[in-house]
Amino acid sequence: MIEPSLALYGEAYARVDALIQELLDAAGVRYGLLVDRKGFVLSHKEALWAPRPPALDSVATLVASNAAATAALANMLGERTFSEQIHQGENGTLYVESVGTDALLTLIFDSSVPLGRVKVYSKKTVPQLAAILDELKDIPEIQLGGDFSAGATALLDDLLG
Amino acid sequence: MSTINFAAREINCKIVYYGPGMSGKTTNLKQVFAKVPGHLRGEMVSLATEDERTLFFDFLPLDLGSVQGFKTRFHLYTVPGQVFYNASRKLILRGVDGIVFVADSAPNRLRANAESMRNLRENLAEHGINVRDVPIVLQVNKRDLPDALPTSMIRAVIDPRNELQLFEAMSDKGVGVFETLKTVSRLVLERLSQTK
Repeated sequence: MIEPSLALYGEAYARVDALIQELLDAAGVRYGLLVDRKGFVLSHKEALWAPRPPALDSVATLVASNAAATAALANMLGERTFSEQIHQGENGTLYVESVGTDALLTLIFDSSVPLGRVKVYSKKTVPQLAAILDELKDIPEIQLGGDFSAGATALLDDLLG
Repeated sequence: MSTINFAAREINCKIVYYGPGMSGKTTNLKQVFAKVPGHLRGEMVSLATEDERTLFFDFLPLDLGSVQGFKTRFHLYTVPGQVFYNASRKLILRGVDGIVFVADSAPNRLRANAESMRNLRENLAEHGINVRDVPIVLQVNKRDLPDALPTSMIRAVIDPRNELQLFEAMSDKGVGVFETLKTVSRLVLERLSQTK
């Protein structure tokens, strides 16, 4: 396939979750997501006080696509990459930072939260997340048997007739 | 390659609708969005121009349900078909697990069909992948056109070795849409469960 899968396993997943939670608590961020470059949510956390988040599937897809387009622009301009993206609105900010080559840390926070503070904390978290994702590359791939295919095909019949 | 999030017990697969401009890729997604019950699908995101031509992509998440404890999801994407949006098409192919090639039955789009398939091969090759390594299903759309070409002629320019499963469709009426999606989904899931 085009690129290796990025799989988060039990203990590593818990560590990623804990790091994002710490970041949320320290920086005052509303939502924190770890998204893979293909646009799938690997992990997400939201502050206790935060309202229901928008559709995370859509957020992840748009963030990853935006990052891909930005990376293509960087290459055209002779840069290896643009490692961060900031989108500031009237009420809130979207901050995206690359985590190694496979993932993107996505933080959404209110405009009352200083961007500088979020950047400081995320610069500290990103290398720790990258280290965990690096460890995962050595884990053997999951094997799904024929039963999985049979079960999934039955569900496909239900969904699509 | 599908993303398998083991701790969250999720499997996510990416299916891309490819093909020449105006062949009906977005219409396929709109039909799926309209007919799949709301609790099994997410919002449809369309990045389109003012005249409703796809600018970057359309996106629709579908929930298959739980298989052996894994919540299994499909993310459906379309690419912009117009020739000059190739950079966008290339980006969207990243991480693809299955492809629906939507061909146009109109006689004056025969060459566009062939060029789009060649473009797909080139873009996959740029990602270091052979076109035979990804499940691809061929949908020949707009079969209700009065001057629709025979499917054999369309296949001859897109798939001369007769390797792809072919479905005839009238996507604006919903005909052939689900059959195509079901087949490519099944092929993706079979590949996922094959021992590597």
